[in-house]
Amino acid sequence: MNPSAPIDDVLIRIRGLTTVLGRKKVFDALDLDIQRGKITAIMGPSGTGKTTLLKHITGQMRGDAGSIEVNGENVPDMSREALYALREKVGYLFQNSALLTDFDVFENVAFPLRRHTQLPEVLIRNVVLTKLQAVGLRGAAGLMPSELSGGMARRIALARAIVFDPMLILYDEPFVGLDPIALNQVLKVIRTLNQTLGITSVLVAHELSAIQRVADRICLIANGKIVAQGDPQGIAHDGSPWTRQFFGGEADGPVPFQYPAGDYAQALGFPEGSP
Amino acid sequence: MSARMSPDNVVVRSLAQIGDCGLFLLKILAALPRSTRYARETVRQLWFVGAMSLTIIMTCGLFVGMVLALQLYHVLSIFGGTAATGTVVAISIYRELGPVVTALLFAGRAGTAITAEIGLMRATDQIAAMELMAVDPLAYVVAPRFLAGLIAMPLLSSVFCALGIFGGHLVGVNWLGIDNGTFWSNMTATVDVWQDIINGVVWKSFVFGAVVALIAVFQGFTAPPTSEGVAYATTRTVVASSIAILALDFVLTAFLM
Repeated sequence: MNPSAPIDDVLIRIRGLTTVLGRKKVFDALDLDIQRGKITAIMGPSGTGKTTLLKHITGQMRGDAGSIEVNGENVPDMSREALYALREKVGYLFQNSALLTDFDVFENVAFPLRRHTQLPEVLIRNVVLTKLQAVGLRGAAGLMPSELSGGMARRIALARAIVFDPMLILYDEPFVGLDPIALNQVLKVIRTLNQTLGITSVLVAHELSAIQRVADRICLIANGKIVAQGDPQGIAHDGSPWTRQFFGGEADGPVPFQYPAGDYAQALGFPEGSP
Repeated sequence: MSARMSPDNVVVRSLAQIGDCGLFLLKILAALPRSTRYARETVRQLWFVGAMSLTIIMTCGLFVGMVLALQLYHVLSIFGGTAATGTVVAISIYRELGPVVTALLFAGRAGTAITAEIGLMRATDQIAAMELMAVDPLAYVVAPRFLAGLIAMPLLSSVFCALGIFGGHLVGVNWLGIDNGTFWSNMTATVDVWQDIINGVVWKSFVFGAVVALIAVFQGFTAPPTSEGVAYATTRTVVASSIAILALDFVLTAFLM
């Protein structure tokens, strides 16, 4: 990337992303822009490839066609070294937190620092405690992952994800299984990180009320494409059948109730043409 | 018989697994230079797979030597050759029982632990988390365990042999009354350092250690991320390692003798 080039407002630019897994076309020439410094929520019915999209952004998966530019660099073209260099600038929050079960909370947060830097112990300690303080769990530094609640584990994973002050954080279902208190705590941390550090955030989630409170922009993904996008207040009323079904919680619509299958009567063994 | 269960399919899948395992070995070897920065992790794994296996290795070594001496004494007494008990115990242990039984025990104790640990790390996204933290799991997780297996096996095998001969001495000399000097002098006069110890214990243990460690890390790393997948992978580690150890033992014996 040319360092003298003006900073683009778009941090992630996806063009013509096409991915086929087995016989299913997960993405069909998908185009998407993620604005720098904003919180963008990716929503959509289950199985539409939201997590798969995050995996494409981080280079864990490669599509069959199209480009994914992160900070001006095309991820599918990156070498292993370049990809790892990018990942040091990207935080990723797993749905199940993915804390390292052999280490306590402190060592989990310190893990990337110990692997990538030669910082003295006192500095590592200060950085880790600062990050734990930011997520409100400095007092849990000595606990093991098995001693944490789901919400606490999520916040520890978040502290680990921001330990290098990344330019981008990807959240995969950060609100699943959280009680209202834990959910609000996670929401507060996400919003605070975005406002104080200017971190670009991409959220994959289903919880509409939570998303509306934290996101600057919502993109609705279905049938391998972005079918609607806009601000949290406007998107639910844009009139498209997709948004009507998704935000209205209707059981049937563009996303059918029945999973595609053959003829029902034939499957039950009735002769053709029987009433 | 369904296509999935056909013998052809089983053969093809087994060959494909061996091929994948070979490619995985190349990836590990390529990751070894990167894993030098994680030397502490290798030492930690050496503790888990080596030091923590000592109890079972020492106990089994002792009893194998004791049983061997007891059986040999009764067979050799028919020919009046009980003085050779120490020699035959030592050669049997050095050449075959030491490396082979140690490797089988190592596969059951350490190999399964390695497979289950890596398989669970994959199932709980810990491997993926490392990749996303720009930490190469091949260099940080796989290579240290592979190296630890490689280093630990010859050491464990040596301990097994020592305890086996001690067990043979306990039964032969202390219990059955073979002369102590005869027991040791016959043994030292017959055992050849190169043929029996270097070729028998060191080389075989080294190869068995590499094979067991490779199978264990490969099965763990490629295990389906489910509890059933990890369980099958752990079983496959024991089965594949046992077959590989015994088959390789024949090949190595044929070449090294």
